[in-house]
Amino acid sequence: MDAATINYEAFREEVRDFALTRCPPEIRAVVATYRKLSRKVWYPWQRILFEHGWGAPSWPREFGGTGWDQRQRVIFDEVMAECDCPPQYHHGLRHLGPVIIEFGTPEQQARFLPGILNGEDWWCQGYSEPGAGSDLASLRTTARLEGDEYVVEGQKTWTSHAHESDWMYTLVRTSKEVKKQQGISLLLIPLNSPGITIRPIRTIDGWHHVNEVFLDQVRVPVANRIGAEGQGWTYGKFLLERERLGGANIAPHHKALERVRALVAQELKGEGRRAERELLQHRLLRAEAELLGASELGRESVEAVIEGRALGMLPAVIKLSTSVTMQTISQVALDAVGERLAPRFRRIEGEGPNAEAPGIEWVQNYMYARVRTIYGGSSEVQKNVIAKQLFGM
Amino acid sequence: MSFQTTPIVSGDTYEMAHRFAREVEQELAGIADPAAQAAILEKRWAQLTALGWTVTAIPEEAGGAGGDLGELAALAGGAGRAGLALPIASACGVVPALLAGQAALADVAHGAMRVAVILPGAAQDDPAGALRGGATLDGAVVGIETPPTPTHLLIVLEAPEPLMLLVPVTTPGIESASYLRIDGRMAADFRFAAIPINPSWVLARGPAVLQRAAAARDLGALLTCIECVAAMGALLEQTIQYLLNRVQFGAPLASYQALRHRVADMYVEYESLRGITARALRAAAQGEGEPWQAIAFAKLRLGEAGRAVAESAIQAHGGMGMTEELPAIRLCKRLMMADFEYGNRVFQAARLLADAA
Repeated sequence: MDAATINYEAFREEVRDFALTRCPPEIRAVVATYRKLSRKVWYPWQRILFEHGWGAPSWPREFGGTGWDQRQRVIFDEVMAECDCPPQYHHGLRHLGPVIIEFGTPEQQARFLPGILNGEDWWCQGYSEPGAGSDLASLRTTARLEGDEYVVEGQKTWTSHAHESDWMYTLVRTSKEVKKQQGISLLLIPLNSPGITIRPIRTIDGWHHVNEVFLDQVRVPVANRIGAEGQGWTYGKFLLERERLGGANIAPHHKALERVRALVAQELKGEGRRAERELLQHRLLRAEAELLGASELGRESVEAVIEGRALGMLPAVIKLSTSVTMQTISQVALDAVGERLAPRFRRIEGEGPNAEAPGIEWVQNYMYARVRTIYGGSSEVQKNVIAKQLFGM
Repeated sequence: MSFQTTPIVSGDTYEMAHRFAREVEQELAGIADPAAQAAILEKRWAQLTALGWTVTAIPEEAGGAGGDLGELAALAGGAGRAGLALPIASACGVVPALLAGQAALADVAHGAMRVAVILPGAAQDDPAGALRGGATLDGAVVGIETPPTPTHLLIVLEAPEPLMLLVPVTTPGIESASYLRIDGRMAADFRFAAIPINPSWVLARGPAVLQRAAAARDLGALLTCIECVAAMGALLEQTIQYLLNRVQFGAPLASYQALRHRVADMYVEYESLRGITARALRAAAQGEGEPWQAIAFAKLRLGEAGRAVAESAIQAHGGMGMTEELPAIRLCKRLMMADFEYGNRVFQAARLLADAA
């Protein structure tokens, strides 16, 4: 179907109706209260989507995707956020799947794609290392070819969901003889392989999202390499290209803003707290203006992609701007509840005496929000990217 | 190639307006004397009227060009890019909107009538002396933007009864003092001493007057935002050029990361304002959602982004940023002043908050 024959408003209603009737209330409650999205929450929802034929909105139809166009995918993501459904941000689905579809062999496609689609296989991304963060191409985990196996040695870090994943798609160095981007390959490594140790990283928000993954003489069949040896960097860039609209969906940000607005009204009720309330409301209003500007840039990005035009600096601008606005929103929430709740910060979800204190998630959210200007290309990296374009040097 | 901005509404009108504004800017640049500057503005105003700018949005049946909001936006953008020191938003947008359906519109159209607008809540030095109606006009207003040598004051009064008056400036009892603002535009203070309201001045009365005034103020705010997006884009380009050319410690300033990051921040503010202004323009042109809210948010953002970008540009120019030498710094002054036109960021935030409550 081409864009002229698709009724996008009817599509939006169809998605909304599905989200509200088919996404279990307990799952939506996890999203609405910003509790940790784990495989336990994601998997059942992915299963429901899969059974409805919506398991992979961004994949082509022949691989079990929906075949939706860009605008439909944007609508899908927006409605999911508006309805508090878990964002379909699984590493397998959004990141690895498209790479296997583009560069994998038919055997690899047949072996890996079904498990990603139905949610039975859970994936994590082995990219960052202790010495390779923003400068990812400096990675040093090596893979040495021995017969029909690679022997992998090294360490990954900041590995989200490694503790609940079955597989890690991993960038490894297969050559030191060439330019640093050219000696990198992409391997699919089962996490139950001998020689793998996963250790949780304790983060300041008290949640367990990220891990260190140690690889000690891990043997990986050559058949698990995607594409050619030494081309891993290209696939990583392909993936980023696919994800360039990732930041264009501002619906979750608007949702957070509305929640904090309600929180401020609830927490600072009455004439006696009017001045405090209005100060915070003013800050939220300024944040809303920033989000409205970013939404428009998101809209322009979607139009540009649909029309096949270059996005230029838009993704960097949207990332820079919305990451700070989300931090602002979380700061306002903390200012509203902090006196009551900051002393009762809970370390791990669902445990300890303060786990059920109403609104306790905002303390955690504030701490978590600090990462928004660090991950996905830190603000400093984004500014370097923008400055290079602006100055032409 | 370094950065070049793209206008919100481009085309011939935009280009024409920009050429005109650039000539005016260049002519004014070498002149320090306010009286000489005012004389240039007077001459340029006559040209601008002859070129038909002020009839852009006036319907054809009233002697205008019947242009739409997009045409006005192109004019405002082109003029804004060179910081034209003439009241475009007021003369081309606000005045025709207030006078829609009035006979006086024809006089505005052919340039015989030059109108300064005084909306409810206009500033005054002494709150007790605010402009008020009734049997007579009394009180004072200050800092009113005017065209060169205004002939009439278009006054909207809230109390005791909403009234729209068109008052000749030469009416006995009106005292005025005119001057140039920080951005080089003309402004005046007006004092009214027990002036009996002549029934022929009354163009409209009743609550509809206030609705029309609010809509006209929003149009003014929207056009000001469009002007300022263009001004900010030009300021960004000029700041980038300055940093590329200026060498210190043996290297162009553009090579220092502290400055590069500051310019990147300016760019994010610029894009944010551009986005929210484009959104407001669409809302106003298509009646999408609540246009007043979209405009209020854009004008709020202008207050924030305008100040941030102007301050950063001054800082990036170092000592030169404190002088009146450079076009870039004159654009900074324009951005700072624009916040105070048609409701500043505090006004806009307050009405959005009141609406949400």
